[in-house]
Amino acid sequence: MNKRKFLRSLAATTAIASCDRHADPARSGPATLQIYMWADYIKPALVQQFELQNKCRVVIDTFDSNEAMYAKLKAGATGFDIALPSSYMVKLMKEQDLLSQIDRVMVPNLVNISADVASKVHDKMMTHSVPYAVGHTVLAYRKDKLPKPEPTWATLERPEVKGRCTLLNDMRETLGAALKHLGHSINTRDDQHLAAARDLVLRWKKSTVKFDNEAYKTGIDSGEFSLVHGYSGDLFQVVSDNDKVGILVPQEGIVMSCDEFVILRQGQNPLLAHQFINFMLEANISAENMQEIGYLSPNKPALDLVSRDFFDHPAIRIPDEVKAKVEVIEDLGPDLPKWTKAWDEVKAG
Amino acid sequence: MTPRRTFSGTVTALVLLFFHAPLIVLVANSFNASRFGGTWEGFTLHWYTDLAANREVLEAFGRTLKIALLATPAATLLGTLAAFALHRHHSRLQSAHLVCVQLPLVLPEILMGFSLLLFFIATGWGLGITAIWAAHVTFCISFVAMIILARLQDFDFTLVDAARDLGASAWQVAWRVLLPLLWPGILAGALMAFTLSIDDFVITFFVSGPGTTTLPVQIYSMMKTSRSLPVINALSALLLFGTILLVATSQWLTRPPRRP
Repeated sequence: MNKRKFLRSLAATTAIASCDRHADPARSGPATLQIYMWADYIKPALVQQFELQNKCRVVIDTFDSNEAMYAKLKAGATGFDIALPSSYMVKLMKEQDLLSQIDRVMVPNLVNISADVASKVHDKMMTHSVPYAVGHTVLAYRKDKLPKPEPTWATLERPEVKGRCTLLNDMRETLGAALKHLGHSINTRDDQHLAAARDLVLRWKKSTVKFDNEAYKTGIDSGEFSLVHGYSGDLFQVVSDNDKVGILVPQEGIVMSCDEFVILRQGQNPLLAHQFINFMLEANISAENMQEIGYLSPNKPALDLVSRDFFDHPAIRIPDEVKAKVEVIEDLGPDLPKWTKAWDEVKAG
Repeated sequence: MTPRRTFSGTVTALVLLFFHAPLIVLVANSFNASRFGGTWEGFTLHWYTDLAANREVLEAFGRTLKIALLATPAATLLGTLAAFALHRHHSRLQSAHLVCVQLPLVLPEILMGFSLLLFFIATGWGLGITAIWAAHVTFCISFVAMIILARLQDFDFTLVDAARDLGASAWQVAWRVLLPLLWPGILAGALMAFTLSIDDFVITFFVSGPGTTTLPVQIYSMMKTSRSLPVINALSALLLFGTILLVATSQWLTRPPRRP
């Protein structure tokens, strides 16, 4: 083929490609439900099932942080019906009047939500948000490097793991872990508590390689690190794939995070939005979904339907004695600078 | 070998290593059975079959490609025209023009993304594919214009005069003298625009609307929650292969004609 021929055929193919125009989903045809959430956080087959049942289209868009999602919606981005922010962001979105109230009559499956999770999140009455998935912040260790592990934050000071630990690069999570170890609330505003937590994290820092939110998964899998502080959803995968890695759920208490469905005031399809939330709360749907995504759904009847392996998975199951000491991160409001100061001292120290 | 050559040889080798070692790791990991790529757990094509079944990633990829293919010609055309104007005319207005063209190169992306978001909402344009397209054309113009401007600076304009002397019309000069000689620069600018459009994350995130998640936006989100992140390795390996093919083709098209 010579150059001219090649270019001509190239031009022809582009012309054909540009003719094949996709119909705009929002304009015509069946109703479309627009969901704004994290990627790969729902089982695609269930979304298709919902589409078939309700003769609609579901379009999922993704964001990579609560803050970015909030900034965009607050600036006036419209068209999304459902969003999936974390608990602390729900409060802000509600205050900024971005959410519409959930009509309980249209979501009868709301009764499935486990009471002890609902009692911990910000919107306890579920007037504006419905818990979807729960994650915890725990420790993971290498079974070949750490003999006789004990479920406590003090493991971070064990000599066997010195220089082989990572802590999350997150002010609330890491200072929160220290506060828990000292027996305080993770949402404390007390200067003395904060100072003690800062000093403890500084001590932990001596055996830590780095503050990290991403690479710890690979590091604990390959054995580069011996003890990491991380999210249960990530560690669920590591532990499932690698039997040399174990989970420690510190008995002093841990941080829980919860992602929740909200219905956006600007949405076009509140009816479908309610139907979708109700659908995802059905026990068998919820059970199928949580086993796929690897996060626990706070759905009581669904937990009877999941496999034993999933239910007893160390990254999923939190021992009953720890459950009472689990806390959710709350917005600090005007006390935030105290925290950032303590955290800056940790980072600089 | 003289010490100087050893030195430059070492530097070249190190630079090439740092550039390409991560790519080799990525391609290798796309065949690694281990999900996290920490250790080698055997050869698998699992991630490629997963990729073929992953509707969302493929849709996002198609969308990204479509935007890049549509934004590239527009940005190349406008950028080339801007470069001509900047090169030919010198006035206070053109100095202002130059600043405008250069601004997106130095402006922090997040600032540009957010201001574009506010702009598209305030004007009622709305977010979505056309907004992403317009945003991509906007920042790509600057890169194209700068590349072609550099090309024009060592362009021999006596060739244009010669063509005019020999009776060529303004259009003939443009089509038969200017364009063929500037073609490599224009192509370089277009390739740059294409690449920038494909991998832009910050600006695209802000101006994308419902149903218009692009591949970079999808990947960033997958890093947080996905259990099938290695499909991205597979996709990147395929992209890498496609890019090499593209660059090779463009070099083949722009190679100087062989003299008899």
